[in-house]
Amino acid sequence: MGLRIRLSRQTLAVLDALLSRPGQWLHGYSLSQSTGIPSGTLYPILMRLEKLHWLETRWEEARTPGRPPRHLYRLAGTAREWAREEIRAAQERRFWKSSENEA
Amino acid sequence: MSVGKQEIPASARLARWLLERAVRHWPEETRPWGLALAAEIDETASAFETVSWSLGGILLFARSVLSGAWAWMKLPAGGSLPGASGPQGPSLLPKRSRVFTVAILATAALLLFLPVGREAIRTVRASWQGFQESASDQRTLEELAARAEKEKDVGTLAFVALSTTDPKRAAALTERAVSLDPELIWVYGARNHRPTFDPPGEEWLARLKAADPGNAVPDLLMASALADPHVGMLYAHGKPKDADFEVLEADSKWKLLMERAYGAPGYDSYFQKHYQLTRSVWNRERNLPPTLIFSGLLSHAIPDLLNLMSFAEFKMYQARKARAAGDLQRAESLIGEVDVFALRMADGSGTKIEKLIALAISKSANKGLADLFASSARPQDARRVALRLGEIERSVQGMRPRSDPGGRSGGEQAFRREAMLLQGFGILAVFAGLAALASILLLEMWRRRMRNALCWMADYAPATLLVAIGAFLMSFLPFQHAFAEYRASSYMLLNDERIMGAMWGLMEIPEYVMGVNARVSIWAFVTIALAALLVFVLVRSIHRTRRAASNPA
Repeated sequence: MGLRIRLSRQTLAVLDALLSRPGQWLHGYSLSQSTGIPSGTLYPILMRLEKLHWLETRWEEARTPGRPPRHLYRLAGTAREWAREEIRAAQERRFWKSSENEA
Repeated sequence: MSVGKQEIPASARLARWLLERAVRHWPEETRPWGLALAAEIDETASAFETVSWSLGGILLFARSVLSGAWAWMKLPAGGSLPGASGPQGPSLLPKRSRVFTVAILATAALLLFLPVGREAIRTVRASWQGFQESASDQRTLEELAARAEKEKDVGTLAFVALSTTDPKRAAALTERAVSLDPELIWVYGARNHRPTFDPPGEEWLARLKAADPGNAVPDLLMASALADPHVGMLYAHGKPKDADFEVLEADSKWKLLMERAYGAPGYDSYFQKHYQLTRSVWNRERNLPPTLIFSGLLSHAIPDLLNLMSFAEFKMYQARKARAAGDLQRAESLIGEVDVFALRMADGSGTKIEKLIALAISKSANKGLADLFASSARPQDARRVALRLGEIERSVQGMRPRSDPGGRSGGEQAFRREAMLLQGFGILAVFAGLAALASILLLEMWRRRMRNALCWMADYAPATLLVAIGAFLMSFLPFQHAFAEYRASSYMLLNDERIMGAMWGLMEIPEYVMGVNARVSIWAFVTIALAALLVFVLVRSIHRTRRAASNPA
């Protein structure tokens, strides 16, 4: 991924949350919980990442009857290395700090 | 960990309901994201989280709607119709985007909302109404009167009394203004168009005469009311005959009034006062339509000029009779009275027509004197009168506009040209505005019909509108300048003529379009338009036939 774009702290937090369980499908609510980002900010980030083909999405089958199917997200294989690179660069610039590092 | 529906408080229920509504109306392009967000709401652990999650969803919905609207605006008109970019390729669309068109139309509208734009619209609209008061002008006057009554603004009350076309309302307002400020008693004279038009006329004039005893005008206005039958008879066969003067001699009331007027030491038809009042009101109320400003001045009552002339002729008739009887002294004295009155009138007149009539009366009197002195061997007096006649002639020439072949003054000609530009650009702006709106609406509604013409109109009509409005406002500047000059100046006859020249210039095109020649013009236009259409169809079919012949495949 030679392409570099400006990423916000929230986007870096979402990438970090997605990278913490690479390959695993995550729900929007759990991403919001782990990053502390409200839904109104989280979903535009997810939409943007998906548009750039860095995010894979799929619909989960409804587990409980009467409930709508839920949407799942994970980083695309090719995007993972790029995301790690971006997070490392942001940390070096002291632009962003991972919550795990803080802990 | 999810919150069961039964436990959900009202705020959370409302938030969920709002999110459901938002999902229903979510723009198609991002709808899956709305569904994804809404599907997570059952996972929220508390009422606060439910409300917060829903609000986030509603924000995302608003953002999606706005971004959808922006994407729609970036397309050209008709670009979002189904089939606009179908399997056979995109159908014909205008070159400009909706946002570009809207920006141009908004700029054009903004220009018209500027003070100069509003004044231009008011003035041009009034010219198309022939500067006649409309129902909306009457409402404006009523609002002005109500405010003036509340604020005890007697000047504005008098202005409304002088401007309204409703005689009863005018009478009531005049009485009110005069009762609040007796100095305004001159309004009785300015508003007096004979007793048949304004019922309290005679009574008003009696009061005015009492308040202004040295002025000839109240008597002249009263005599004008009595003069109609005589004056009509006097000039029915061209030059009056002696028998006609004998009838006049029998009307003692009219004669008494006219004698009193001729003997009064002053002449003031109150036009100057009316002008100053109008000027002060217009300075306070800048948004008044020009119709209201000028209708009062244009309907200012002045003494019946034909009546004035007829009394002068009557006095000359009396002088001729005295001369025939050998009483030359009386003859000279009678003619002298006419000349003295005419000079007094010329000095005190507020309008050009009054001055011209006064000079005409004076000229007639001096010709009578010249004739008298010539026949009675008084060469010195005859020379004096000849000099006086020369002076009168020069005064009359000085008052005539520096004429050109069309009989118009230079200023009037300039206003005429500027008025033509102003009206022309105004008409162009109206047509361009209508064409822009119609083409955009039709492009949004129809997919196939007349696409070529509609696209061309949607591309060029808004720009034409903007340019036409700019030119319209530029052409209005000389008129705005004339109005400002009028508001700023103290009274000058020349200034009055300048503004009237501007107004007549503005009325020329509306009069032509709405006047008797309108039908001929419309038929000429229709014939030319149909002929042009026929030529277009013929040329197009010839072109198509040739193309088909050269490319048979």
